[in-house]
Amino acid sequence: MSNPKHDRGEHYLTTPKAEPFLERLIFNNRVLILVGFLILTLFLGYNAIKIQPDASFERMIPLEHPYIVNMLEHRDDLDNLGNFVRIAVAVEDGDIFTADYMETLQQITDEVFYLNGVDRSGLKSLWTSNVRWVEVTEQGFQGGTVIPDGYDGSRESLEELRQNVLRSPEVGRLISDNFRSTIVYAPLYEKNPETGEALDYGEFSRQLEEKIRDKYQAQNPDVSIHIVGFAKKVGDLIEGIASIAWFAGITILMTTLLLFWYSRCIAGTLVPVFTSIVAVFLQLGTLRLLGYGLDPYSVLVPFLVFAIGISHGVQIVNAMAVEAAKGFDAVTSARLAFRALYIPGMLALISDAFGFLTLVFIEIDVIRDLAIAAGLGVAFVIITNLVLHVLLMSYIGISRGGVKHVQNHGEKQDRKWRVMSYFSHPGVAPISLLIAVIGLGLGLYYKQDLKVGDLDEGAPELRADSRYNLDNSYIINNYSTSADVLVVMVKTQEEQCTQYNVLRAMDQLQWELQNTPGVQSSASLADVSKMVTKALNEGSWKWYEISRNQTIINASIREAPAGLINTTCDLTPVLVFLEDHKAETLETVVERVEEFSSTYSNDEHTFLLAAGNAGIEAATNEVIAGAKDLMLILVYSVVSLLCFLTFRSIRAVACIVIPLGLTSILCEAIMAVSGIGIKVATLPVIALGVGIGVDYGIYIYSKLEKFLLEGKTLQDAYYETLRSTGKAVIFTGITLGLGVVTWIFSPIKFQADMGFLLFFMFLWNMVGAIWLLPALARFLLRPDKMLAKARAVK
Amino acid sequence: MANRFMCETLGAAGVGLSMALAAPVAFALPDILEIPARPTLLAPESLLNDATRAGERIVAVGERGHIIFSDDEGKTWVQGAVPVSLTLNAVDFGTEQHGWAVGHSGVVLHSSDGGENWALQLDGVQASELAMQSKEEQIADLEEQIEQAPDDEKADLEWALDDLQFTLENMQADLDVGPVNPFLDVWFEDDSHGFVVGAYGMILRTHDGGESWQDWAPKLDNPQSFHINSITQVTGGGLVAVGEAGKIHVSVDGGDTWTLRESPYTGSLFGVIGTGQVNEVITFGLRGNAFRSTDLGRSWTVVPNEGGATLNNGAVADDGRITLVGNGGAVLMSTDGGESFRVHFRNDREGVMAVVPLAETNLLLVGESGVKHTDARGRNPN
Repeated sequence: MSNPKHDRGEHYLTTPKAEPFLERLIFNNRVLILVGFLILTLFLGYNAIKIQPDASFERMIPLEHPYIVNMLEHRDDLDNLGNFVRIAVAVEDGDIFTADYMETLQQITDEVFYLNGVDRSGLKSLWTSNVRWVEVTEQGFQGGTVIPDGYDGSRESLEELRQNVLRSPEVGRLISDNFRSTIVYAPLYEKNPETGEALDYGEFSRQLEEKIRDKYQAQNPDVSIHIVGFAKKVGDLIEGIASIAWFAGITILMTTLLLFWYSRCIAGTLVPVFTSIVAVFLQLGTLRLLGYGLDPYSVLVPFLVFAIGISHGVQIVNAMAVEAAKGFDAVTSARLAFRALYIPGMLALISDAFGFLTLVFIEIDVIRDLAIAAGLGVAFVIITNLVLHVLLMSYIGISRGGVKHVQNHGEKQDRKWRVMSYFSHPGVAPISLLIAVIGLGLGLYYKQDLKVGDLDEGAPELRADSRYNLDNSYIINNYSTSADVLVVMVKTQEEQCTQYNVLRAMDQLQWELQNTPGVQSSASLADVSKMVTKALNEGSWKWYEISRNQTIINASIREAPAGLINTTCDLTPVLVFLEDHKAETLETVVERVEEFSSTYSNDEHTFLLAAGNAGIEAATNEVIAGAKDLMLILVYSVVSLLCFLTFRSIRAVACIVIPLGLTSILCEAIMAVSGIGIKVATLPVIALGVGIGVDYGIYIYSKLEKFLLEGKTLQDAYYETLRSTGKAVIFTGITLGLGVVTWIFSPIKFQADMGFLLFFMFLWNMVGAIWLLPALARFLLRPDKMLAKARAVK
Repeated sequence: MANRFMCETLGAAGVGLSMALAAPVAFALPDILEIPARPTLLAPESLLNDATRAGERIVAVGERGHIIFSDDEGKTWVQGAVPVSLTLNAVDFGTEQHGWAVGHSGVVLHSSDGGENWALQLDGVQASELAMQSKEEQIADLEEQIEQAPDDEKADLEWALDDLQFTLENMQADLDVGPVNPFLDVWFEDDSHGFVVGAYGMILRTHDGGESWQDWAPKLDNPQSFHINSITQVTGGGLVAVGEAGKIHVSVDGGDTWTLRESPYTGSLFGVIGTGQVNEVITFGLRGNAFRSTDLGRSWTVVPNEGGATLNNGAVADDGRITLVGNGGAVLMSTDGGESFRVHFRNDREGVMAVVPLAETNLLLVGESGVKHTDARGRNPN
């Protein structure tokens, strides 16, 4: 840092003529402001502690998308189709026809029956009376429960059981094809019909673990238990949120150590950590007061807020140490640091906040919540960092060790900065630009493969090797079932949902879809009707057809599963089972359905998309794909505009924004190469990366401009920039990276993806600012003109 | 046919898009009789109800209008062009080139090129009209008889008349709904003479390769209109048709006249085959009930088997071994001309609807999930 006297009156931006109004306001009321902070922190901190985890399903989906509108409109009619858990009880050795296994299965069935939230009437297992075998005889049907009357575990009754199982239609559904496991199927209530209480997914999932998995695997070592279902997945997600506490601890510890290594001053370490934590509490408390909970996305925001707080705090500690090294006392160095930093600091933070707020335009609530939470957090960082931090430091001051460190360290590092200043050298800059252009080309090439949506198998929220996904693949491999279901809702006139023409049209759609790549199978009332018509005709496959006779149709669907006909019989679903949930698969299938629907929807039947997890993903993908470009345009416009307003130069904007653009493109290329799709979790990364990444450029450019205006050559000016703020900027990149790097170990897959990408963006944006910005400045900036202009203004 | 359908569909889709902004577009799906079977690779894996030889070729029929044929003993399949997409139940070839397939909505399809292209010869509406016409003739005859009959016989004849009129009313009611009833089996002697049989006692005969059909129901003693499930010719020339309620009809004059045999069983008989010996026949049906006759159905002996599964169809191989197939993956094999059978249940437990003997005692089964290659016992090859 140069001599403050020397600065006086030279530049409107970094060194205002005298104590600015804000500085006077803040420094003249130090005690009052600190007391205000204390009260605010206590109040909001109290609220922050009471914030609850909340993995609300609706917040993660695009509520305004027509598919979702259709789905929510008919949600009551479809209720039990989606919400169930399947518990596969598998034997390690032999098959299921042993007395031991059957006893364990019976106990598990009973246990599940009494779990809070289970729709007991729909519970199915070998041990429930609704699981039957049926046989056609000369006199009509003959049948019974699969568990034979008088079952006693003897060899005879086990043999009878085996016969019944073979005669039942449940092989492949409740009983695995290889007879080594069976399923306990438990439909769930969203709301308890007696108490009206909403199902507590976290608690339900915990009970499944404790009362079912742990208990019976311990009791009978020969069985293993696999559980899948929406409720279990949400439960695991909520559990995953809890592990975030560990990450928070590790992040704070690592940051603190790094900060101390950087500043060698206890106060300079603890105060930024403390004020950043205060910012997190203020943010969380405010969120709770606004009625938000912590979902798996917004739970990550405190990390960002903390990292942003630290990285800007570093600038202040750095500036104060530099001032203190010149011999100023604590208050004066605090004032000078404030004076030098409040405009670039505020600008950087405001552009962070605006970058986040562009996310509000994406019609998915979790992303909006994320935007609001992050925006709020950054707003709080502005006051904790620029006010609270500075004021606290004005009392404490930088320790002597810290000051010494700045003095010694600075000299030692001068050579390094000297070398790095060559980035702006006329000989080096073109090479840098060439490398950047090559990088850009590679990025653009690889980014062509960038996909929308989730690309991995199983529940995309969780890791491929998570217990849930292992259970899921066990069940998919052993049963005739798919985890990816698209539901087409067929709307008819009231009481007309079983008409011949409706079933015929559904059947036609199903065959169309079954001949579409990516579709495994499908099911609807039409299948039930064909199957039962066959059964009613003595089980002869020659009668496997939809009868034109309505009386026969009505008889055939009398016992159809409840989910297939709603109470007013004006809605019946077609379930389409998909091979995966890749975006292309979804697009192809959805396109076929829309084509069919636009051709054959009429007064009798309209085909509405879409429910089922695949339907929701198809809608989400559409929203995401549509929002991506809009969001990029918005975030870059906002950042560019803010930079322009501050620096009043298009060239300055170009210097700052081009490195960001390169990073964004490389980030997309990395996503394409490492198989991360654009999805709810990764879309915000781009906005966050740009919004935060711009900080480096702003800090570097504001210094660079200042030194240029002092009449230095570009390379000298850049050398001075690096000397004064380069270290802080590098440190900022590392702290921000540390703030998110722990997420990579999150059990929740999308948190890991976000962590990985943000880590890359934070670090690479820093590299861009240090390496590419000066090269661009070599070509774009005209120091003579800048000087002339500055003089003219004066 | 296929092209016409495409054009109609695309045209409809185009109009649908252009009108999408207006009111809901009303395009009824064409009747299933007018939708050609969709070309699909899934046909060999979908429900197939029957299979037969057309010369060396194997032809199989099944759901959604699927007709597939194979010239390499069932290894690869080609789908024939079929103008309807409803479930087809049976197929028979009178010659290598001329074949007929029958199914739901009373359809009879004909191919004159060994199963590659099929044309609709008859549908359920025409079949019902034929049947009703002959019922009306029967009624007119009967009314005449009643007028001339002595008083003590009148009462009985009037009962019969009531029955006929009741049947006619039922037929009319069915026809008001549409072509509701399926044909269940077909048999052709050559390229012109054949029978189709089906639900509610339907039986039609042709002498001109299906150009025209006569309702043959009045020639059979089937006043309660029981389903006729299967028809075949046994060595020696006798024709046998079996059906619901254990009914067994036999004709020894090439189908002109039929007599009802005394049946050993009152449940449904789903199939009948000759054993290859003169006048020897095996019929079978619900719950593994199977019976054998060496005198064209005059007397029957029970064929014991342990399976208990409903039997659907059967075939005799060149070496004389007889295979019966049925629900629950049942495959029964006899090497003693059908006196006794050994039962095997396939692991997949899927219904088997027909069997075609292949070389080296191997079998081609068709059924619930399409085509399966097995050994002589019905087991999957290793």
